[in-house]
Amino acid sequence: MADLFTYQNSYLVVVIFLALGILLPIVALSLGRLLRPNKPTEQKRTTYESGIDPFQDARVQFNARYYIFALMFVIFDVETIFLYPWAVAYEELGVFALIEMLIFVVMLLIGLIYAWKKKVLRWI
Amino acid sequence: MSGELFAFLVLALLAILGGILMLNLTKVIHMLLSLVLTFLAIAGLYVLLSAEFVAIAQVLIYSGAITIIMIFGIMLTRHNDTQKTKGNRTRNMVVGAGVVLFFFTMYFSINQVSFGDQATSLHVENTKQIGIELYSKYIIPFELMSVVLLVSLVGAIILAKRDDEEEAEQK
Repeated sequence: MADLFTYQNSYLVVVIFLALGILLPIVALSLGRLLRPNKPTEQKRTTYESGIDPFQDARVQFNARYYIFALMFVIFDVETIFLYPWAVAYEELGVFALIEMLIFVVMLLIGLIYAWKKKVLRWI
Repeated sequence: MSGELFAFLVLALLAILGGILMLNLTKVIHMLLSLVLTFLAIAGLYVLLSAEFVAIAQVLIYSGAITIIMIFGIMLTRHNDTQKTKGNRTRNMVVGAGVVLFFFTMYFSINQVSFGDQATSLHVENTKQIGIELYSKYIIPFELMSVVLLVSLVGAIILAKRDDEEEAEQK
């Protein structure tokens, strides 16, 4: 039980870092707001785009093709998550788990090759 | 009040806050960010339950990958729309009554459930424990998982490629 409390207390450091991470930009920006001079003009308020006047809305409709990249990212992300417990417990598991993992990776490799053959991976 | 209870209350409130914000905000991107808040709060709850690996998976998969996929989904649609809800008093009353009823049902049913003794050794090499269980006892579900992932990958490609071909035909 004492061990469990050590585990929970060790997360206090994470909480402190989280609080620092949230507070730092807030404090820095509000201090900067107090310190800096504030004289806005119409010219200053325009968006800076390498000297070119901004045009159109930045939030345009994307091509459906990019969605595939996001989907493939999610699938291979899930695959990577499964690799972690395998790698950590590898010493205890031995060769059988290695073969299991090979089957798992080859399955997804088939998917990758299929995507490649279908020319999904090509960036236009 | 113990520190654990305090942390639970803060995280649970954050999770609920994220959900409520997601329902009430008007811009889709803001909704998505409040959903991320809920995901992160749930990851914190997993840490409280000594499930470190699940917490990291939650952060990586849900607040990382799933959010990106949702952003892409939003970018494909008309995302400049803002949602305006019309108030409907009778419907709100009915829904409110349902929520209260659900709360009391859950409250009384959960109160009587006993979960057995609290597990005290879950935090010791959490990832390793999961690895040993997953790759010795639950091999078939794990291999099925790869088939499911493969099917989803192939299915996504087939759907998206058809869209591309239709676009090409239109041009």
